[in-house]
Amino acid sequence: MAVIPAAAMNAPARRVSRATLARVFWRSLFLQAAWNPRGMQNLGFADAIAPALEELYPDPAERAKATARHLEFFNCHPYLAAAILGGAVRLEERVAQGEATPQAVSSFKSALGPPFAALGDGFFWLALRPAAALAAAATEPLLGLGCVFVFLALYNTVHIAARIWLFSVGYVRAEGVVESVARAHMASGTPLLKACGAALAGALAARGVLAAGEPMRPYHALLVASMIVIAWGTLPRLGATRAVYLALLLGLALGARLF
Amino acid sequence: MLPLPGGASHLFLRAAAAAAIGGLSALDRKGALQLMLSRPIVLAPLLGYCLGDAEGGLVLGIPLELLFLGGVNLGGSLPDNESLLAGALTAMVVPAGIAAGTGVDHAIAALGLALLLPLGLLGRRLERASESRNSQLMDEALARAERGDASAARVNLRGLVLPFAAAAAICAIGVMASPLLALLRLKCRPTELSALEGGWHAVWAVAAACAIRAIRDPRAPTLAAICAASVVVITLAIRGWP
Repeated sequence: MAVIPAAAMNAPARRVSRATLARVFWRSLFLQAAWNPRGMQNLGFADAIAPALEELYPDPAERAKATARHLEFFNCHPYLAAAILGGAVRLEERVAQGEATPQAVSSFKSALGPPFAALGDGFFWLALRPAAALAAAATEPLLGLGCVFVFLALYNTVHIAARIWLFSVGYVRAEGVVESVARAHMASGTPLLKACGAALAGALAARGVLAAGEPMRPYHALLVASMIVIAWGTLPRLGATRAVYLALLLGLALGARLF
Repeated sequence: MLPLPGGASHLFLRAAAAAAIGGLSALDRKGALQLMLSRPIVLAPLLGYCLGDAEGGLVLGIPLELLFLGGVNLGGSLPDNESLLAGALTAMVVPAGIAAGTGVDHAIAALGLALLLPLGLLGRRLERASESRNSQLMDEALARAERGDASAARVNLRGLVLPFAAAAAICAIGVMASPLLALLRLKCRPTELSALEGGWHAVWAVAAACAIRAIRDPRAPTLAAICAASVVVITLAIRGWP
């Protein structure tokens, strides 16, 4: 537990202004601009928190030290990182006030990075994005170009709201953000999204089969259905690129009626 | 004679538009915002709209989206660059379809995809090169911070330059190459067109399989099969059995 100097106890609390918080949040949208394999999101994180450090550390030498702190290794899901960024701003306020050590900020970041990364990857990349894309693709016969807006609306409504909420809660609660994120039950929505995605993928497969069978070509439809099953089975070994080329060759041959 | 509706100046304008949109999509993909504007289902119709055929872009965008649905950037692993492929493919196929007078039909789409599919892999390599450059930016930032420069981390945004430039250049080249694709399409005989149509249906089959694989859930294949069978049965019941 850090010993709080008497001077610090009597000094007015240092708080980052709302305008600065808005700047930090805006910069968090560029967290991965200079992603690199050694520090990963470290440059983006240091750049994002820079407006807050500017306000909290008027002395350039102190600010440079704080910046160097945030150039340490950091990696997380880019959306969930907003929670860690908000929390880091709140902890830097305490450090500037003398109420916490710089190590507390580093520990906070390194402790939450990996679990939040897993949470974000599982929900956004592996569930929400595929489900939204499949829903859009499935509505294309009805909506035409409107399906693009279906995808963007379904995805970004959740994405932007989540980012703003995570940043706010991270700033307000700092270490308590873990409890808040746990109560949001993000992981519990994942199985339902995946189930919806699977059903929609099946509907799209059916669409491909039916389209191949038009007009009055049931054997073509059966061929495409067989290709879907074979491709599904062999994809892990072939990879998408090889599978597409093999399918193109087979399709070209069958289409040209060489067999 | 290469089909060039509107002349060379029009082609250069289209190349500039494709470069701008392709470059910005490369930023949205990872380095900035991540609003999913770089996904094929958005990028292809958007770029197609700017090039004169939004629906043609959608014809390309949906199967590409399904093909790369499972490509995820987890930690340090990189998937194929679906945005670069979608951008370049749309940049080449949409103007080619307009020049050929066919629009984006299955034949021209299959031709374009056969030619440009390796761009997904190339894009991954370009991304690795960009990451190496970003390591240098990090070293520069660390050195500046040690010297007491409080704005050391501002070099972060310079990491956006390479992805933008590479994608912009490739999309522009796609537009410039579109008259050749149009010529190739026009030279196709009925047998070849039928073959390419078959090829496109086959691509859709692989895309559907990729979409099912992208759902990393043990129930996914069963759910997909049940839904597919239901859709086929209901559709045939409504339309009448063949």
